[in-house]
Amino acid sequence: MLTPETKIAIYRMMYLAQQWEMQLLRFLDDGQVSGFYHAGRGHEALEVASMMAVRTDDYLLYDHRGCAHMIAKGMSMVELYGDFLGNDKGSTTGLGAGIVHIADPAHGVLGQSGTLGGGHVLAAGAALSIKIRKTDQVAVNFFGDGAANRGTFHEGANVAGAWKLPMIYILQNNGWAISTPQARVTAVEHFSERAAGYGMVGVTIDGMDPWLVYETMAEAVERARTGGGATLIEGMVNRQRGHYEGDPMTYRPDEEIAAAKALDPVPATRQRLVDEGVLDDGALTELETEVLAEVQAAAAEAQTGTLPGRERLDQGVYA
Amino acid sequence: MSTTSPVAPATGQAPVRRISYSRAINEAMAEEMERDERVFVMGQDVGAFGGVFGLTRNLYKRFGADRVIDTPISETFLVGGGVGAALTGLRPIVELQYADFLWNAGDEVIGKMSKWRYMHGSLFTVPMVLRLPEGAAGGAGPEHSTCPEAALLPATGTYIVIPSTPYDAKGLLKSAIRDDNPVAFFEHKGMYGLKGEVPEEEYTIPLGQADIKRAGSDVTVIAWGRLVHRALEAAELAAAEGIDVEVLDPRGLRPLDVEAITRTIEKTGRVVITHEAGRTGGAGAEIAAIIAETCLTSLEAPIRRVCGIETPIPQSLHLEQFIIPTADDLFQAIKETAAF
Repeated sequence: MLTPETKIAIYRMMYLAQQWEMQLLRFLDDGQVSGFYHAGRGHEALEVASMMAVRTDDYLLYDHRGCAHMIAKGMSMVELYGDFLGNDKGSTTGLGAGIVHIADPAHGVLGQSGTLGGGHVLAAGAALSIKIRKTDQVAVNFFGDGAANRGTFHEGANVAGAWKLPMIYILQNNGWAISTPQARVTAVEHFSERAAGYGMVGVTIDGMDPWLVYETMAEAVERARTGGGATLIEGMVNRQRGHYEGDPMTYRPDEEIAAAKALDPVPATRQRLVDEGVLDDGALTELETEVLAEVQAAAAEAQTGTLPGRERLDQGVYA
Repeated sequence: MSTTSPVAPATGQAPVRRISYSRAINEAMAEEMERDERVFVMGQDVGAFGGVFGLTRNLYKRFGADRVIDTPISETFLVGGGVGAALTGLRPIVELQYADFLWNAGDEVIGKMSKWRYMHGSLFTVPMVLRLPEGAAGGAGPEHSTCPEAALLPATGTYIVIPSTPYDAKGLLKSAIRDDNPVAFFEHKGMYGLKGEVPEEEYTIPLGQADIKRAGSDVTVIAWGRLVHRALEAAELAAAEGIDVEVLDPRGLRPLDVEAITRTIEKTGRVVITHEAGRTGGAGAEIAAIIAETCLTSLEAPIRRVCGIETPIPQSLHLEQFIIPTADDLFQAIKETAAF
């Protein structure tokens, strides 16, 4: 199932997502992008490998943590940059959606609830729609350990379990709900323990291991497509940066941050490809050079966009 | 004094059948489900039971469990799940058991149903209808009796439709189901048994068109939902005293037929606005402001509002009746406005 080609494709996408974000952070530093960005460094393996195990017509309700899941789902890097730059190259043609409200119906990217955890019930509705329309699509809902505690999760997960909906919940557990550590507000050690209460399969995995993520996701997707119902995948990950750019992270011990950064899944996956003999260093460097050029080209194209005028405001409110 | 029918326009010579408001709503759903396989219904107890107010009667038998879905008591799922289904190719009709449950699904109604399309760059449509049984009827108490339509006025993106007759209910609901925008559809529980003329043949009523329920020249009463009928009663009391009342039913608040409102004010120069919800923050305030902005100089008398009493609605059936404006309350306001 996990062929060398797939492994290479996963690493390529992880590296691309990482580089895409590094360029976005440069835009932020330059003052070209305003607003809050919730960097996804450290989450690449979970976001990328899971999305590489689904099809274009499967649905994604992403979360605010980086953009790797959207990129891996097939969204254009130009459109993503355009949304952050707030110009007409963006998916929302100038609404300046930033991280929160990017969308791409052609790739099944349904958007995101700005109020965290709002996606739990929308995703369940999308999964119900799949069941009613009798297709073999799946709906995937990303969220963090913070949004896992929303009441909406209960309502969404309950019907997903009761009706065996083709629903996959991907919980990115980095242990921090902004500044609040999980243990302070949650009794269970692993959220996957809750899955049983909804009649769905729940697993906790190392979300930094892209091979494991891919295989776990492939199994969940197969279960969903064949009527076996919903899965809750809890991926343990490390948030390398602040909740948002500019977060002073005074609440987090320095050694904990250093440990998180030391476990960076991007170079770790690169090393794995070398160790497993899938690609050598030279071939990887070549791949990375190619990716960097793609990212830079996308960034340059996005910067050619123009900011909308005031008339953009009331366009498209109603169908 | 000229009058137009408070129910349905006459259709030729054949007698028009009379059915209840609830049956009209049921027929609209059944016909649209027949017409378009993307339409489905979900709500609490809407399946074999047919809904607590009987609105979905026989739909389960006719269309099956896949299209008439009993849900758990989960309002955030009902509305949020409806949005998710609407984004992915279906046209849900979501029944909240009581309109008051809007608050249980506040973010899903305001943040998701109303805004999803716009905030995602108009890349989606959200073709869903949220059916909302509202109003004081039968002593359902403070949490099951309100008319919260004004709460949705700031929810740009969602249409607000409020039918007052079986004829309007059927024609407006069919249009709402076919519309690509989310529609909050308020049905007054106290009218479910009300009968009126509804033709056998297919018809729809465009959203956002006011209806003159009674034409007159002296004073306009703007009323919607159940209060249309009290306004019509009050108009008869006024007629006996030589005051010719026009009753304008906006049939909803968004789209709002501002042109029709302006036209009637320019005609009568006097207006009483009435609704069952309380005066403070009620939709009458918005309509009064629009009148002031668009046709203040046509007014011969101050704008008058006759609204529900501003207390939580008592559980006691005996006290409940005093909450809602009566025909006599309206008649007094009409007389005073006419005499100003």
